[in-house]
Amino acid sequence: MNDYIVELKNIQKKFENIMVLKDVSFGVRDHETISICGTSGAGKTTLINIMGLLELPTHGNIFWEDQNAIICNTKKLSQMRAKIFGYIFQRWNLIPELNVIENILFPKRITSKISISDIEFAKELLQRVHLDGFENRNVWTLSGGESQRIAVIRAMINRPRIVIADEPTGSLDEKSANVTMDMIVNLCQEYGSSLLLITHNQLFAKKMQTSYILNNSELKPFDYAKSEQ
Amino acid sequence: MNWCLYLALKQLFPTGKKVSFFSIMSIIGVALGVMVLFVVQSVMDGFQHEIRQTIIATQGEVRIDVNNNILYNADRLSDSLKNRPEVAALAPYAYGVGMLEYNDRSIFPLIKGIDLENEIKVVELKKFIKEGSLQNFDNRSIILSSELASQIGATVGNSVEIYSPIMLKALQANEIILPKTLKIVATYETGYRQADENVAIMMLDTMQDLYGLGMGVHGISLKLKPNIRPEKFAFELNKNLTHPVHAASWQEINKDLLFVLKTEKTMMFFILVFILLVAAFSITSSMTISVVRKTREIGLINALGGTIRQCGACFMIQGLIIGIAGSVIGVAVGALILKFRNNIISVFAKLCGIEDFMLKFYSFANMPAAYRLSNILTLVTFAVAICCLAGMLPARKVAKIKPADALRNE
Repeated sequence: MNDYIVELKNIQKKFENIMVLKDVSFGVRDHETISICGTSGAGKTTLINIMGLLELPTHGNIFWEDQNAIICNTKKLSQMRAKIFGYIFQRWNLIPELNVIENILFPKRITSKISISDIEFAKELLQRVHLDGFENRNVWTLSGGESQRIAVIRAMINRPRIVIADEPTGSLDEKSANVTMDMIVNLCQEYGSSLLLITHNQLFAKKMQTSYILNNSELKPFDYAKSEQ
Repeated sequence: MNWCLYLALKQLFPTGKKVSFFSIMSIIGVALGVMVLFVVQSVMDGFQHEIRQTIIATQGEVRIDVNNNILYNADRLSDSLKNRPEVAALAPYAYGVGMLEYNDRSIFPLIKGIDLENEIKVVELKKFIKEGSLQNFDNRSIILSSELASQIGATVGNSVEIYSPIMLKALQANEIILPKTLKIVATYETGYRQADENVAIMMLDTMQDLYGLGMGVHGISLKLKPNIRPEKFAFELNKNLTHPVHAASWQEINKDLLFVLKTEKTMMFFILVFILLVAAFSITSSMTISVVRKTREIGLINALGGTIRQCGACFMIQGLIIGIAGSVIGVAVGALILKFRNNIISVFAKLCGIEDFMLKFYSFANMPAAYRLSNILTLVTFAVAICCLAGMLPARKVAKIKPADALRNE
């Protein structure tokens, strides 16, 4: 037993003959904030895809809440994924056929029935990101910043144990990026979720409690304070 | 509501948009196919029903004959048939081709000799009388089909001259033969052109006299009691009849016509089903494009806790919804068209100036239509199944998507 929510052990991933991840072991604990930096194509997205078992590793084990997730069936995996993870992507990926509140509540709809308290929670989150009154807006009328904030709320609606943010500010201008990043950090703190941030932005990476760098297929801890000295 | 159904409905009818172009076009495509199939099938069924009813009303349900020869022991056979519980009424008949002359116009109709008293118990002759009446029908009179009367320009009250084949043979041998003069007492019209075109009816004893049949007849028509199946009864009867006496149901007698009608209906269905297939193909192609467009969305749904199979099910459900909506609309519009079919046809015929042609070409004055719930259910099931299949192809495409690849998809 350990206190990891999710733990990767000796993960290896090859695409044909190219080694993308080499013997990666890594875990996320409750209320932890982690950043992973790396150059484009280093395998950051592959790592988080493997963590959420959206992609299978070539070798290694993945434990979700101490269960070997690789041997779970698809249905159970999907249920656990919805409970443990909340995803935020660089491109916000809102569903165009649904309005703002429907998009926010969609992950909840996948896992259970929508209750009045869920709607109230969604409205509360909208207030928290200064988008109150946007409930019935169509998503194609939103700006990039607004869309990303909706995507952040969507990731929080199931009160996940870990929020995985894959370059969440990559498509935003600096000002919107700062605002959005602060919102993600604050919401995770407030609702008790751990945060795993994949970013190129060292300023954001520094704000996390633990930092890693993915280089040459290897994941290594990185101390920004030491590197600045 | 299950989220797959919810998402399928939202993709067809998105929030914030009045209507989705893809949904409306797909539903219209299916509705058109279902409507055309429904209308055509109902009209074909209506034609079949009318023809069957007319055949029974003019020929009886079962006929006993001796393979175009003369049946001399008709009375004895009639007596034994009357004792059978299945038989409601019977009437002997004779028939043959003769020459009919009026005002120097000659035609060669099929002449049927009937025993009026019994005949009206077997066939609905009274119902079809257009002019005149059966009251004065006797050995010196004749009934013509209205078409036949109009061909020779004769009306009720006129007299026509009849030559039987025996008389014509005698004339060839230079014997002096006087034709039989008969007064037209009535004309009849069944509404079915084949029965109206070329038939004259006279009393059986006149016919026997003219054709030299003696006491013989050509056959006996039977009317059966309700719920007795003519084919089965004829089959049972044949076990007791000695060759060449043979009983045949109206279905057997008219099997060629019924086969043609059935084949015609099947062929029409086969041809028109392509409308549905085209609609299904357009649904498949639109949905396949949608799968490609929504690949990233499919990856996202997987990351949110949905499975790839459920995403595939969304597309199948969309096909199902399109199928159900299209079928319901198609049947509703079809029923409306059938309700006002005669008005629609009369407007169409007037516009094209083909009113007479329509009446002449099709056997019935009004377009018949008949639809059964079982037919509608079969058609709707068929249409919905085709639409589900149309949704299955894109669903299979979804099933092959790898979530991580979908999320990387640009």
